[in-house]
Amino acid sequence: MKVVTGVVGNDVHVVANRLIDISLQERGFEVFNLGVNTYLEEFIDAVIETDADVLLVSSLNGEAEGWCRDLGILKSKYDFSDVVFMIGGNLGVGEMNAEELGPKYRNYGFDLVFHQVDLNEGLDQLENYLKERK
Amino acid sequence: MSLLQREREIIVQNEFIDQFDFKEVEEFIKSASKELFISHKFKTTNEMLVQPRGGFPTYDKVFQLYKEFKNSGVDVLPLTIDSNTRLNDYATAKKMLALSEENDVDMLNGYPLINHGYRTTRKMITHYDTPVSLRHGTPDARLLVEIALASGIFEIEGGPITYLLPYSKNFPLDKAFLYWKYVERVCAAYSELNEPINRESFGPLSATMQPPAIVLVIQIIEMLLSLEEGVKSFSVSFSQTGSMLQDVVSSNVLKKLSRKYADRFGHNDAVINLVYHQWMGAFPYNKHYSDSLINTSTVIAAMVGADKIITKTRNEAFGIPTKEANALAVANVKYTLNMLKGLPKISDEAEEENLTNMVNEIMEAVLNDSADTLWRKVFNAIKKGHIEIPFSPHIINANKVITVRDPDGNIRIHNKGKLPISDKSFAFERSKIRLKENERVVDKIIQDIGIML
Repeated sequence: MKVVTGVVGNDVHVVANRLIDISLQERGFEVFNLGVNTYLEEFIDAVIETDADVLLVSSLNGEAEGWCRDLGILKSKYDFSDVVFMIGGNLGVGEMNAEELGPKYRNYGFDLVFHQVDLNEGLDQLENYLKERK
Repeated sequence: MSLLQREREIIVQNEFIDQFDFKEVEEFIKSASKELFISHKFKTTNEMLVQPRGGFPTYDKVFQLYKEFKNSGVDVLPLTIDSNTRLNDYATAKKMLALSEENDVDMLNGYPLINHGYRTTRKMITHYDTPVSLRHGTPDARLLVEIALASGIFEIEGGPITYLLPYSKNFPLDKAFLYWKYVERVCAAYSELNEPINRESFGPLSATMQPPAIVLVIQIIEMLLSLEEGVKSFSVSFSQTGSMLQDVVSSNVLKKLSRKYADRFGHNDAVINLVYHQWMGAFPYNKHYSDSLINTSTVIAAMVGADKIITKTRNEAFGIPTKEANALAVANVKYTLNMLKGLPKISDEAEEENLTNMVNEIMEAVLNDSADTLWRKVFNAIKKGHIEIPFSPHIINANKVITVRDPDGNIRIHNKGKLPISDKSFAFERSKIRLKENERVVDKIIQDIGIML
């Protein structure tokens, strides 16, 4: 399974990004890590180029909301029906109502949304999701 | 006119600075007070020098900060530069400085030296007549360093690797080498006029699980790149690892090998100093724990025989400290150091041997590259992954090396990636690691990063 991952927007927090990379590799995924400061268009290009099964976008500084609004438009230009779109990290700036974040991001076009969820738990759920979908 | 001088004249023709008067600056440095040179201070004292971190947008706030530091017995003053200036964005720095001055709020995380200019800044530096160290994080520091030296700042921190791999995603590494070559040459040229300008490398790197072997290799390489351009006074540095033993071992090996490599390349006359950074990782929110951490690292700095210590404050977890909190930290470190004179030297032979071997093995691989100059060899080494740092945001970094802590807290190489270390050295590292049954490496890393929380 191929996963494209990276930190969206003008966000240079690299530590969690490296941990996601290592965790995915430990679970047997083939990882294409675009690193920090990655724009949505670059993610989409990488998914197409690598023929990825999963796109895992992360955010630490909480600005992902602004950066991911156009996901629906970008998704409509290409057939991504086999690709799982996942986002995790701090998905809002400041204190947020976590209940509202899930629907909001699913509305943008994400299948799996994890706001301040432990990394391993998020990846367990990803693996379950992939299994069930088969 | 030399090529370097021609380049310098182009660099200082910048819309954000007033006329740069090379003659006047040369005269100033030639007749500058010896007290401004940290290289002179290193020569004339046996005591560890204490230097905090700090910088504010406005002249007045830095002036007040220095006053506070002087009252606390500081030995070396810092001048930390704001993030826009670090990225050569002097227009934004100018705007934010104006806002800071008008509204009495800090709109910058440091001092925009280019916008203040050397004529103004020099007044403050000569007023305090104390060495000042330039702290920044700039891949292209050519103009910044010209202005700093003209201001009377005679210690320049940084280097092409240590200010790039931890700080940038895609600034080209080859450019960083060439821009820093300029900095070294300017420092070398001024070093002939009075006491030497001191250059200092930034050993903490990304401050997250950095293996000493890589830190030491990068320290030695930046030292060689500097000395080969004529710099005569250089500080190698590293930050607290989280294990007292590993700090002692790192320091013993770094002192020995930096001298060895400097001599091997014919730089026998260069003075090499050791700088110790108090814990650079995530700080506890509990200020009592912070105090304890800072005290312990002061003890370690004395044990390793550092020539200078760079301090943290109990407010670290909460943001930029006030001038009072910062000065209090300096006073406390000075107080603790007073009890720590003439300590016996301790060591661990097996550990020192293994670290020495790893550093030599990586250095040999770098030096054996077929490129014609040292910087190109190093450039190739980084491209090939022979040198990489854990947790770098930069695209050129290989990101293959994985480190974890052993039961004593020492940082060990778990995956060596492309590091050219021998099987024997690697086996030594691996033999120290203990993972619990079914414990995932990544969970261990997360725990090891947060060791001080």
